[in-house]
Amino acid sequence: MTTGISLVRENTASMQPPRALWVSFPLGRPLGAPGDAAFQHRVIDAALTLLREESGPVLVDYPEDAPKVEINDAPACPVSFARPALNYDTWETALITELQTLTSWHDLGRRRRNGRTLAGVSAFSPRENLQKLGQLLDDNILPTNELKWFKAAIEDLKVFYIESLTAQPGTYNPKQLENIFWHETTLGAALLKFAELFKENPALAAMARIIAPRSATEKNQD
Amino acid sequence: MVRLVDLPAYEREHLLSKNEPPLGPPVWQSLDKEVSALRVALITTAGLHFRDDPAFEFADSTFRPISNNEDSNNLVMSHSSVNFDKSGFAEDVNLIFPIDRFRELETDSKIGSLAEVHYSFMGAGLNPSAYEATASQVAGLLKQDKVDAVFLTPV
Repeated sequence: MTTGISLVRENTASMQPPRALWVSFPLGRPLGAPGDAAFQHRVIDAALTLLREESGPVLVDYPEDAPKVEINDAPACPVSFARPALNYDTWETALITELQTLTSWHDLGRRRRNGRTLAGVSAFSPRENLQKLGQLLDDNILPTNELKWFKAAIEDLKVFYIESLTAQPGTYNPKQLENIFWHETTLGAALLKFAELFKENPALAAMARIIAPRSATEKNQD
Repeated sequence: MVRLVDLPAYEREHLLSKNEPPLGPPVWQSLDKEVSALRVALITTAGLHFRDDPAFEFADSTFRPISNNEDSNNLVMSHSSVNFDKSGFAEDVNLIFPIDRFRELETDSKIGSLAEVHYSFMGAGLNPSAYEATASQVAGLLKQDKVDAVFLTPV
C-alpha cells in the first residue's frame, strides 16, 4: 500500500493514486520546512493517517502552510555581485573572478553543514566548468556535442553558488536566492545567454528549458 | 505555494499539462495490521542518488537504490527540471527524503521497521507509463523485502 505527498493537487486528482496528502508547499519542498523536524513529523503523520482509510482514492488537503521567510529576516547575501561581467573583457575572466569571491563562502557553508554538499556530481571542478563555459560564450559556440557535460556542469555550479550564498546560518527565502542567482551573478547572466542561444537553434531549443526556469527568462526580457 | 491560482499563467498551464489519466483500474489495499507494525520504504521521484552512482539522464525511467544503512547526507541530486527550489534540499536531506524522521518513528515504535533499501526515480521528461517496467521491478524488490507500505515524495 502507498501513501505520500502531492505538490500539484490537480495532477494528483487526475491520476487518482490510492492515498495522497496535498500540501501547499513550494515545488522542491514536499516536507515543507528544512531543518524543522516537528513540522516534518506533522506532515508525515497526516500522510500515514491516510493508511487507515478504508476506501479510496483519498486526496486530503493538509491544513498548514510552510513557514514564510520574509526577505528582511533572511541572512544577508555574503557577496556583492552587481554584474561584474560588465567590467571584464571576457566571460571566462568574469566567471573565474566570481568563483574566487565565492570559494571561501562555499567552504564555510560546507563546514556549517558538517561536510555535506550537493556539489561535485559533474566530473569536473567548478573552475574547469566555469572556464569552459566562459570560453564557449567568448567564442559564441554552443556545446552541441557535449550536452550531457553541459547540463551536469551547470547544475553543479548552480548548487555550488546556492550553497555559497547560504553559507551563514539562518532561514533563507528561496525566491530571493533565485533572484540573486539569476539576476545578480555573472553565472546567472551567462546561463541566460546560453538559454537564448539554444532557443535560437531550432534543433536544440528544448535545451533552453532545462537551463533556466521560465521565471528567470521571462524577467530577463522585461 | 503550489496553489495554481497563485502562479503565473505560463507556469499554471505547464503544470496542468501534466494532468494524466489514472494508469489503470483503481487499486486498493486496506490496512491489515497496525501502522505501528508496518515495514515502510521511502520512494522519491527527486532524482536522488549517492555520489558514486550514475547520474540520471535528461529523461530517465531507471531508479537508484538507497540503502537504509548508508549515510543519507551523502545523497546528491541529478534531476533535470529547473522549475523547483533546490536550496531547501541543500540545507536538509529530510525535506525531500525524510529518512531521519522515519528513523525516529521506528525508534519510537510508531512504525514497525524500515526497509533495507529505499528507491529514487527521476520524474521529468517522460509520461508516467514510461516508468511501468521499472516501477514493477521495484514493486517486486519491495515484496522481497517484506515491505508493507511506501511513503512517496515528489519534488
